[in-house]
Amino acid sequence: MQKRYIIRDKCILLFTLLIFSIGTYSLFGNVRGVNFFDLAAYQHRIKGVVTDSDGTPVQGASVRLKGTSTGTFTNNEGVFYLEATPTDVLILSYIGFKKLEVIVGSSEELSLVLEEDVTDLGAVTVNAGYYSVKERERTGSISSISAADIEEQPVTNVLATMQGRMPGVYITQDSGVPGSGFQIQIRGQNSLRSDGNMPLYIVDGVPFTTQSMESFYTGEAVPGIINPLNNIDPTSIASIEVLKDADATAIYGSRGANGVVLITTKKGVAGKTRFQIGYTYGLGRVANFMDLMDTNTYLEMRREAYANDGIITYPANAYDVNGTWDQNRYTDWQEVLIGGTSDIIDATGSVSGGSEHTQFLVNGNYHKETTVYPGDYAYNKFGLNSSINHSTRDEKFKVHLTAGYTIQNNNLPGLSFMTDIYQLAPNAPALYQEDGTLNWENSSWENPYSVFETSYESKTNSLISNLLLSYEPIDGLEFKTSLGYTNNQFFDQMLRPSTVYDPAYEITSEFSNAYKNQVHFNSWIVEPQVSYKKEFSAFKTQLLVGGTFQKQVSSQLVHSTSGYASNSLLGNMTAASFINIATDDQTKYKYNAIFGRLNTSLFNRYFINITGRRDGSSRFGPGRQFANFGAIGIAWLFSEESWLENLNFLSYGKLRASYGTTGNDQIGDYQYLDTYTISGNSYNGIAVMEPSRLFNPSFSWEENKKLEVAMETGFIKDRLFLTVAYFKNRSSNQLVGIPLPGTTGFSSIQANLNATIENKGWEFTLRSEQFKNEDFSWSTTFNLSVNRNRLVSFPGLETSTYSNSYVIGEPLNISKVYQYEGLDSQTGLYQFKDFNDDDLLTRENDREAIIRFDPDFFGGIQNSIRYKGLSVDFLFQFVKQDRYTGEHSMGMAGRMGNQLNLLQDRWKQPGDIATFQPYSSGANSELRSRYLNYSQSNAVLDDASFIRLKNIAISYQLPRNILHGVTCSIVLKGQNLLTFTDYEGLDPEANFTNSLPPLQALTTGIQLHF
Amino acid sequence: MKKYITTVLKNKKTNGNLWFRSLLIFVCCSTFLLSCSDFVEVELPSSQLNADDIFTDISSANAAMASIYAEMRDGSMVSDLSYQMGNYADELDYYGSMASDTEDFNKNTVISSNGTIKSWWNTAYNLIYSANSILERVENSKQLSTSDCNQLKGEALFVRAYLHFYLAQLYGAVPYVTTTNYSENAKVVKIPVDQLYLNVLEDLKVAEGLLGLEYVNPNRTRPNRGVVKALMARIYLYTDQWEAAAQAASYCINNTGTYTWNTNLNTLFLKDNTTTIWQWSPEFEGQNTNEGQAFIFFSVPPGNVALNPELVASFEANDLRLDGWIKGLSDGETTWYYAYKYKEQGGTDVSREYSVIFRLAEQYLIRSEARVQNGDIEGGVSDLNKIRNRAGLSEVGVTDKATLLKLILEERRHEYFTELGHRFFDLKRIEQLDTVLGVKPGWNTTDRILPLPEDELLINPNLEPQNKGY
Repeated sequence: MQKRYIIRDKCILLFTLLIFSIGTYSLFGNVRGVNFFDLAAYQHRIKGVVTDSDGTPVQGASVRLKGTSTGTFTNNEGVFYLEATPTDVLILSYIGFKKLEVIVGSSEELSLVLEEDVTDLGAVTVNAGYYSVKERERTGSISSISAADIEEQPVTNVLATMQGRMPGVYITQDSGVPGSGFQIQIRGQNSLRSDGNMPLYIVDGVPFTTQSMESFYTGEAVPGIINPLNNIDPTSIASIEVLKDADATAIYGSRGANGVVLITTKKGVAGKTRFQIGYTYGLGRVANFMDLMDTNTYLEMRREAYANDGIITYPANAYDVNGTWDQNRYTDWQEVLIGGTSDIIDATGSVSGGSEHTQFLVNGNYHKETTVYPGDYAYNKFGLNSSINHSTRDEKFKVHLTAGYTIQNNNLPGLSFMTDIYQLAPNAPALYQEDGTLNWENSSWENPYSVFETSYESKTNSLISNLLLSYEPIDGLEFKTSLGYTNNQFFDQMLRPSTVYDPAYEITSEFSNAYKNQVHFNSWIVEPQVSYKKEFSAFKTQLLVGGTFQKQVSSQLVHSTSGYASNSLLGNMTAASFINIATDDQTKYKYNAIFGRLNTSLFNRYFINITGRRDGSSRFGPGRQFANFGAIGIAWLFSEESWLENLNFLSYGKLRASYGTTGNDQIGDYQYLDTYTISGNSYNGIAVMEPSRLFNPSFSWEENKKLEVAMETGFIKDRLFLTVAYFKNRSSNQLVGIPLPGTTGFSSIQANLNATIENKGWEFTLRSEQFKNEDFSWSTTFNLSVNRNRLVSFPGLETSTYSNSYVIGEPLNISKVYQYEGLDSQTGLYQFKDFNDDDLLTRENDREAIIRFDPDFFGGIQNSIRYKGLSVDFLFQFVKQDRYTGEHSMGMAGRMGNQLNLLQDRWKQPGDIATFQPYSSGANSELRSRYLNYSQSNAVLDDASFIRLKNIAISYQLPRNILHGVTCSIVLKGQNLLTFTDYEGLDPEANFTNSLPPLQALTTGIQLHF
Repeated sequence: MKKYITTVLKNKKTNGNLWFRSLLIFVCCSTFLLSCSDFVEVELPSSQLNADDIFTDISSANAAMASIYAEMRDGSMVSDLSYQMGNYADELDYYGSMASDTEDFNKNTVISSNGTIKSWWNTAYNLIYSANSILERVENSKQLSTSDCNQLKGEALFVRAYLHFYLAQLYGAVPYVTTTNYSENAKVVKIPVDQLYLNVLEDLKVAEGLLGLEYVNPNRTRPNRGVVKALMARIYLYTDQWEAAAQAASYCINNTGTYTWNTNLNTLFLKDNTTTIWQWSPEFEGQNTNEGQAFIFFSVPPGNVALNPELVASFEANDLRLDGWIKGLSDGETTWYYAYKYKEQGGTDVSREYSVIFRLAEQYLIRSEARVQNGDIEGGVSDLNKIRNRAGLSEVGVTDKATLLKLILEERRHEYFTELGHRFFDLKRIEQLDTVLGVKPGWNTTDRILPLPEDELLINPNLEPQNKGY
């Protein structure tokens, strides 16, 4: 069986390779651009000097004779020499400048000035995945950021670079732990499945899996999902495009519902060999601590709590108040546990260059980041990227190879101690005894430093490579094959030696555990494509047809070992008495598609773009594997109309609209099968097998319909540029694990639910160039996104298992809670609204208040100011949102465990106007149950809106003549430097209440180019 | 010029060819794409087997059956009973971290959002699903032999009955689930405890007919007819069916070939003890029991639980169990005690102890109580003395019913302390909970049953109303 597949896979590979690489070239290889006219007799040698508008020589500019492959480059004085005839046309081009065409004429020396190309939309092309499109002719909604934006941020994850810079793209950081992940939502939540809202990531044409790799056993050290996108170094990226609407995403069919993120790495540029070296060093820290009680306030709270409960003799295990612990001791546990500074070191270097037909780039980077924890922990990352382009002299056959290899190594404490920062009493004992060993204070506490006895280590090696072969036998017709391969190996382990336990328990190394997790992803993709372009005076058309074959194999091996003779052997499996294999699994995912695009334009003003895809995925059962998706996009460049020609202030105007369908297959593999799984457990010496799931063979795709209308306008020669977009997306046929009562044996079943979710909203982008001249320029980009998520319909919601999670007409990201009605000043008890007036507060009937967690709006303002060699770029990110209050996760005030200072505003006697109930140790069941209701009411939602100086970069470029041809810049970069918020918790952005917040970082660096 | 013309002609010819070839490639390519829709079919992952294939072979079917016991052993309702219900009743004092599920059990302040309550419920019904799945698939299996089918069906029915029995004991009225059909199971209704016991007994009677006295494994880790009978005896006792209880208890007592009485208290929990009716093997060879791990401590004050001093004090001074099954550890001032029935806290070269779930002593005490209730005072006394003799205690003479019942209860307390919540269930069935546990400050009459998990009520309103007092 398996053999058959291997053979077939090989055949496919061979076949496609044969056709498009070797086949096409050898078949049509004889057709070359032949220079028919032998004009050598008229040739003369010319000298040209190329400068920019300031008169600075432009080095490395490409100079070519039109219609030939003859050409050269300018040297570092901007000079070139070429043999040419007077009728020849010279084409000069260089990145960042407008292409220049001049007739050679009779003179032997030419002085040529290249014009900077900054706002010329006509020349800017945008990567749309399978094709690229001119910005002005674009029919779809695509946001992008460039290398310049990325480089000014001291971050390690690609997603971090996009935060606040793209309308409609909402990104939050899981935590400040090095190597942890990010959450991204493009135009809201489309799927009821919490893990079904990830966009599709494409790196240089290769889909990149974001499937989580961690294991339950090892994964506590890094909160959230370890994001494989860490494998891509931000400095190696040339641009990131986010495809949002149907027009842009329908060509990705079943995987486009949540948007597509295209990551393109840097390529070499023809010209002199260029070197770049950069080094930055910086520090990071937790920017904000919670305002917690000190020992006096805390003990006062505890004593008052027992007094309120009528308890005179403190219980034996109330060590903080019963005299066991020093009543005068004070430790700021936040400072002790997460108050350190982290070192951030980055080093990069690259070499690039090449000739007109062959260009290369090699880029290496190193990143090191330590933690804010006590102890010696570090995250190391090393990456190497390379890119080679080659084209034949006639530019008909092209090869483009990109490969990136990254090694990551992360060391952390094995377990999380974030709850300790507020749960430990401020008078908890000293960490160490006088002899330097951990202090367990006669077994009265769990020393938080015992966590540092455990260790976590992860190693990731990843390869992403792509080979693009294209052949253009005749003008306009191009055969192309993209061959991609990715390999991702992840290993992590958690060691828990017996020293983590109180020695009084006499737990020996026999109880030391080691957990290891090995994950291996391997995928290949082959995408043969044919495109054809034709122009008939006013009518232009482009056609693209292609196919996709993709296979991904992932395997995971998780095991735990215990029973070690010595802790020094911990982790070495051969030294373990017990080895338990928790997971040993291999899964396969196959994907097959045919896609196409037809684009036509008329008079360069009217554009129609039709895209479609037929997809097949192994994640669905027989008969459900295939589905069709498609979209139409139109654009009208109204500023080109003759009747608008007199409107001088309007330099650019486009109206575009799109409508289409996409799908979502993020449901995991094999969910339609009725199987038994080896659970990893054993009984009586046999490995046991248990039912895998409740099965449903007949579920199918989620369908997502997207509509967008947008207007793009440029004023005053495009110095003011405004884009306003309105979108409305509806997802139906929701593919979810429908929650089921425990009596079914499982918590959910995979099925399509006839529910419709709508995301609609507005996105605004305003770009302006306030000043722009030789010495001084200042530009501002502002973006704002307003998204409204809404459950439109859900037949049978009331009687379904979702009735307490969702409300029709409300967003998905809500909670139904009690309605808080204030504190009764006579009794000191929290009051709640009894919705059904039955004098009882019941979870089923009285949790009718709704709290919403989606942001009301979010966006960013970016400013770039340049004065001669000095430039300042800074981005303010803003979010209007609600989050759980800081005290929400801390438990009832009065129990053992610290509290926010603001909890002191408690009720003491009748008539008191206070915010909080009296303290209680937990023995007062009335206070306790009201507290629990309070924590499930709308009282614990707080305004967590914030404005944050997300990043700032100040760089100064030393004048060129100082370093003799070496461009040197000194850069100061900052991340999260300022935050304006009223939020009382650790951080308004953090996704999890109990995780380290995103760090504040400040780095300085130097960049050399020569 | 001539050269130029031929070049052009040649070019034209090639261009024509080219068009044709391009078209050909395109057509080839498209048909290829369209024709290989079976590309997206994948083979099964290495860790999964088709459900129906499992039941074509007795070893994989046994692996499916064993998964139920493995799950039951590793953190299920049944495996937690000794610890949590020991806390809930008057057997254990709790010294672990405050604000935990266990503290709520110990203080009798369990609420419907308690995590343990939810996890017990969910794992129990998950195992019931597994049992039902085995019943349904074995029924359809053509490859398994009749005797294998009977063994599997018998065990599955026993498991279903056993879990429902404890669910009813802990939560009161609960649904009795007999199918794997999720749309039915999602809307099930509660049935009263009396009715539920009838279902339990019905299943047990069928199981009794399917299982023999022989164990599948000599180490008694999979139920046989003796286990079924032992559970039936207990249920008859709990439901005041004295005659039937005595009769069912006699089954194991009379099969002395299999269940040989043993008077050595220190070997009672070793894995090859002949009074064991059903026990669970640990996950790996060399491991011992969860009970040993949970109860034994080496330092004081204890980090988790210790025996209630009143329990220790209630033993007669010469009770051999006081010495053999309880150990104390002192810090010089105070002494804390732990249950020392299981003597291995950690691993050993070869596993020495298994978790004992049913043992012969209970059958004697069941029959003793049933006989006394039924008027057979002499028979009852003789069964009681069997236990007292072993504990080195003086024999009880014939006396009145009430005194005897009291003595039996006390004997049960001392024989079964920290074992599977026996103490709590005994106090509950003889309506003594309020009298005995009333001294605990958190105790309320309604605490006799636990709350239904709140999420379950929300998700299946047919489970309404919540148990009284929650």
